[in-house]
Amino acid sequence: MAEQDPRLESIERELSQFPVAVLQAYNTASEKASVLLSEEDLFTWADQGAAIARQSVRSWEAATEYFSASIEVLPFLSFANFVPWSQNGLDLCQASPTIAAAYFRASPETLPHLRPRQVAGWSELGRSLAKGTWKSTALSCKFFEISPQLFPSMTFLELERFIRFIDILSQRSYDLATECLELSHSVFPNLGDSRDSFISLVTTLADANGNWREVKDCFEVGGRAITKVERSQRARFLGLAERLSRSGEGGVISFLREGSQGLGELDQSAHPVVLTLGEALISLSPAAIAPFLAVVPTVLARVSPPQLELWFAEGIRLLTENQDSGLAFFKLESSFSEEMLDKLSAGVELSRVKEVVGMYSRALAGNDMEIAPAQELVDKGIGWVSGNHATIEGNTLYLPALIDGASTKDENFAKLKVIATHQVVHQEFGSFGFSYEHPSTLFRDLRPLVMKPKSLGNKPEEAAPTPEGEAAPEDTGPVSVETGWVTDMQGFFDVFPERRMALDIFTVTEDSRLDARVAREYRGIKRSYLKVQAESLAERSPLEEMPAQQGLVEFLIRISLGQRDKLPVASYLADEARKMAKLVLRVMRVGSTVEDAAEAALRIYVFIAGVPNHSIPSNEWTYIEIPEDDEWEDPEDMEEMLKRLDRKEEEQEQQEQESSEGEGEESYESPQDVEYRGEFKPELVQLLEEMKDAQRQQNEGEPPQLTREMLEELLAQSAELEQGGDADMDTSTTAKNLMREVGMKLPPKESAQGQGPFVHVEDEGGPLEAVEPHTSVYDEWDFRAGDYRPRWCVVREKVMTEGDVGYWDTILQTNANMIAEIRRQFEQVRPETFRKIRRLPDGEEFDFDALVEAMIDMRLGLSLPDRVYWRRNKLDRDVAVLFLLDMSASTGEAIDESRGGADEWDAPGNPVDYMLWLRNRRGTEGAPRRTYKRIIDLEKEASILLIQALEALGDKYGIYGFSGYGRENVEYYTIKDLNEQMSEKVQRRIDKITPLHATRMGPAIRHSIKKLDEIDAKTKVLFLISDGRPQDRGYSREGVEKEYAVHDTRKALLEGKQKGIIPFCLTVDKAGHDYLKTMMGDMGYEILSDISMLPQRLPELYKRLTV
Amino acid sequence: MVQAKGPGFQTLQIEEYVVEKEPFYVPMANEIELFEAAYQQQIPVLLKGPTGCGKTRFVEHMAYRLSQPSSVRQKNGGAETSAVPLVTVACHEDLTASDLVGRYLIDADGTKWIDGPLTRAVKVGAICYLDEIVETRKDTTVLIHPLTDHRRILPIEKQGLLLEASDGFLLVMSYNPGYQSALKDLKHSTRQRFISIEFAYPVAEVEAKILEHEAGISADIAMSLAKLGEKIRNLKDHGLQEGSSTRLLIYAGKLMSQGVSAREACQVAIVWALSDDVQVQRSMEEVVSSIFE
Repeated sequence: MAEQDPRLESIERELSQFPVAVLQAYNTASEKASVLLSEEDLFTWADQGAAIARQSVRSWEAATEYFSASIEVLPFLSFANFVPWSQNGLDLCQASPTIAAAYFRASPETLPHLRPRQVAGWSELGRSLAKGTWKSTALSCKFFEISPQLFPSMTFLELERFIRFIDILSQRSYDLATECLELSHSVFPNLGDSRDSFISLVTTLADANGNWREVKDCFEVGGRAITKVERSQRARFLGLAERLSRSGEGGVISFLREGSQGLGELDQSAHPVVLTLGEALISLSPAAIAPFLAVVPTVLARVSPPQLELWFAEGIRLLTENQDSGLAFFKLESSFSEEMLDKLSAGVELSRVKEVVGMYSRALAGNDMEIAPAQELVDKGIGWVSGNHATIEGNTLYLPALIDGASTKDENFAKLKVIATHQVVHQEFGSFGFSYEHPSTLFRDLRPLVMKPKSLGNKPEEAAPTPEGEAAPEDTGPVSVETGWVTDMQGFFDVFPERRMALDIFTVTEDSRLDARVAREYRGIKRSYLKVQAESLAERSPLEEMPAQQGLVEFLIRISLGQRDKLPVASYLADEARKMAKLVLRVMRVGSTVEDAAEAALRIYVFIAGVPNHSIPSNEWTYIEIPEDDEWEDPEDMEEMLKRLDRKEEEQEQQEQESSEGEGEESYESPQDVEYRGEFKPELVQLLEEMKDAQRQQNEGEPPQLTREMLEELLAQSAELEQGGDADMDTSTTAKNLMREVGMKLPPKESAQGQGPFVHVEDEGGPLEAVEPHTSVYDEWDFRAGDYRPRWCVVREKVMTEGDVGYWDTILQTNANMIAEIRRQFEQVRPETFRKIRRLPDGEEFDFDALVEAMIDMRLGLSLPDRVYWRRNKLDRDVAVLFLLDMSASTGEAIDESRGGADEWDAPGNPVDYMLWLRNRRGTEGAPRRTYKRIIDLEKEASILLIQALEALGDKYGIYGFSGYGRENVEYYTIKDLNEQMSEKVQRRIDKITPLHATRMGPAIRHSIKKLDEIDAKTKVLFLISDGRPQDRGYSREGVEKEYAVHDTRKALLEGKQKGIIPFCLTVDKAGHDYLKTMMGDMGYEILSDISMLPQRLPELYKRLTV
Repeated sequence: MVQAKGPGFQTLQIEEYVVEKEPFYVPMANEIELFEAAYQQQIPVLLKGPTGCGKTRFVEHMAYRLSQPSSVRQKNGGAETSAVPLVTVACHEDLTASDLVGRYLIDADGTKWIDGPLTRAVKVGAICYLDEIVETRKDTTVLIHPLTDHRRILPIEKQGLLLEASDGFLLVMSYNPGYQSALKDLKHSTRQRFISIEFAYPVAEVEAKILEHEAGISADIAMSLAKLGEKIRNLKDHGLQEGSSTRLLIYAGKLMSQGVSAREACQVAIVWALSDDVQVQRSMEEVVSSIFE
């Protein structure tokens, strides 16, 4: 060891006064430093350390860090650069030794990323954050700490801007600034070139008033969001966010989230166009930008990008006219927006043509036909799995929700029509009527030879006579599926060891039969049919790649689609194939039946079953032509061939055991579906029919014939359930769902799994659909947007439960006097029905006064007056009235209690709060006996009195109550239907009128209008009896503007007026004046100051209104 | 018999109208025999059925048939040997008793009695056909009661006369149970004076035959039209108040035989004729365009 430089010795001495860690670090470092540095430089190095250490009380820590870091830094820096670096540290140390320590600690990893001249800048950035407080110091330290991670993903310039932002943010909140710093290293690597924009965005956020709290979310969301945007467009996307934040609208975070989500769903190539539109939009309405990007995928799913621009232009036009309606447009919450989209798009949406297609199908099928999207049947989980394929079940025709394959609307509609027609003719031409007993018209019946006799059902004697004289099963006890079958279709498929293949073949033969018959009987649609068939043919996958059996089925499918030449077939199978083709052509004959299709399928099956399912080498293929020849004679060995049906079963079992070895034979797989033909599930359809029948019988008290176990066993065998496709769709679930579908009883727990009464749908959830029976869907008027929110409310119609008739009697007795008076009054109205009209040019009799005058005139030689007759003119009283009773919770209040108006206004938006609020409002409602009268009691009394009056008049009338909770649950109770005769049932129902939930008047009124509209009467009156303003969860705009409800109600009433219905509103709300004026306008209304007058006043008003 | 005859028209007294050319009629069941039997026994007949299904045609056909020398009436040695006139009254809301029985009119010398169509039919022994009887006011319907029981008399109150019906007189009414409201239901005291023959639209094959004859179209087109009719009738009560009548189908067929394209003919004769509702029209058009090219 060389002799120590005395200067170093003195430094060492100095250092030893500090805690021992300093000297230790010095000693460790100096060993390495002495190698790297000249003597002079070594001294400078050591001296710097000492200078740092002596700076302040705690600066020894910084010195320690200096010594350990310097060793690692030295290799990067020339000594000339090293000195400024250490000097920076020294300077920092003056501000805070902690920061200096952090600076030194971070240096070894940071410096490699920096140019020497940037080092000073870097330390300066750190220093700029330090403001002398301990929080700022911590922030500054944090900065140095994460610097190594930041640099690889950003330039120095960006870092500068970023730190300036952090500095600004720190003035708001140090905690927030620290958090953002921590988050930054995970965000920036994702940002790529858009870092600059991002910094700019967050800087704006930190600047903008009040929005700085969103900064952290922006870091959290932004990093993830940005990855969904196409790389080159990220800056533009963030630019939009920045402009949004500058606008002061807020919602930057939701923009980042929803906007990126929307863009993420798009093809990346569409991003520039969409963002260009977004940039145009934001200058007009910043609030519209997030919804716009969110709906763009929906819009682009239906229209092309150029059409998107047209749609967009309409929205912009609306925006300039009216912000709110423009906003609703871009949210796709206005009818106009949907119409616009529909006009532009070539796709045909089922929901928009449902009515037409429904009527069309009804006309063809001759019975009630409901139309529903195919997905709905899939959701029922009863065996159907494809939401894109049409199918028919019972009286419901399930169709794909959107057809958009072709470029024009007409073509797409034509395709939908073909699809619908094909399904409907299944019913019209009897696909599901397949019966064991019906003989075939074109073939010798082979079914009796192979089908097991039917042993289940109520006609056992019919199953007995089979040609071979097989003994019918004696056992009439519980029937297992193995010995018999529930439906004829199932019995047919039971014949085949390979059910899947049998179903495929039967589908081909039956579809061929139907298509041929459609072409004959519906010549108008033939062209569309041929086009769709040709398209389907073009989409088929190459037959030559299929193994033999699948290839043969595919071969037949192609024939059924009209291909007649260039049909690929293995040369050794050509003869067989020709024979099979004949069978397919034969079922296309006039007058063929489903049984013919089954017989043909049976024959084809035995042919194909006789072919080993090998793949066929390419040199074996030949291409054949099929002549239009459908002459058929069963081959002589037909019966012999039928044995394949039995033998195959054993073989299969063997095969399954030996399958591991394999002999080149593959298991059968179905060819692809023919799209327009949808899903054909004859077995399931027949089964459902059978189950519905069974259910009816059971309801009539007969013992059940079908148990769940049987059903499961049956489903397990059916080829129509996709095996393995859906893991959660096991046969047991399907069986359960099937039983629920037909209304069979299930253990209580399971049946309760269905939708409860309150299915909560978000207000933002967009249009609804009325799917369940007795529901209708209505638009709702958004007065700000000046347009309807399409399909916004679902009204559920229920018949009021029946209570005790005693209530009715009591009211009659206590009000006997008043009732007698009312009856008398109303009976007086009646005899005015005939009136004698005099001096008519034509009539029953001479009007003698007129006649005498006429004769005198005539004698005088004056012109003869011709008005000399009279006649009776009948004035028909033809009135229909619908009373709509408010059954909201507030009607449960006692009438003499002071009615505070304030709580009316405070319906909470949050569902949970709302229910609590309602419960509180209902208060003592659950108590068994009340001593006070409630508003609803008066409503009930009033309706009873009114019924007396109406019965005396003979007017047509209906009484309904409404309440509900949320737009998806508007409850509409029938107390007396317009078309129902007064009966004790009605009397009982009145007893059950009770206060329930909220008051969404609009949909209830619209539903009433629909009812009145169906009635034939000269005068129609809608009489609304309420106790307050309309209110409901979400019955407002953004939860604040309560006028929304008032305006919607008004609009609904106006709709009625347009249909010639006279609306009248009677309210008992003392505070009613303010809103009723808006709501009713020039339509009639009355506010009852004394609520107890209601029972008396109602008949009076009615008389005034209609007489 | 012919009162006035011009180059393009002829005027008849109401009771002189006799069906001379055999109207084309395809029976659906044994309605001809039933009617003949009723006629022989002088039992009034009520024809029920939807509009345009052939009720009026049936009455004309029967009037012709009963006028033939070989008809049941002649064979059974009925008193009358001449033709049976047919008096048709289209009923409407304002049809009063005097419209049917007759009334006084003013003329130069004072008033003059004019017989109404019913009175005339009673006098000459005609078939009196009251078309769409429910349309009349209830007080008018009562008027026919004495004519429809064993008395067979028509009181003419204003003249103070009782008119006994001649042997050949028969009252026939038509009634469409479908469309009128409960208000316009036929009173039981009226209903129960008639035997009722129910009419319905013929099955497609029969209807095709009718269309072929009436419209002069090929059997093939006639079958398609009949099929269309059948399909459209499925929409009754589901958007349509009433299905397409045979009459409308004939109109469509006639237009086609004039060279109007099938789809267009169906549109004007059926689609637009049946409904004003755009959706319903569209649905029917789809059915038309499925059946006709």
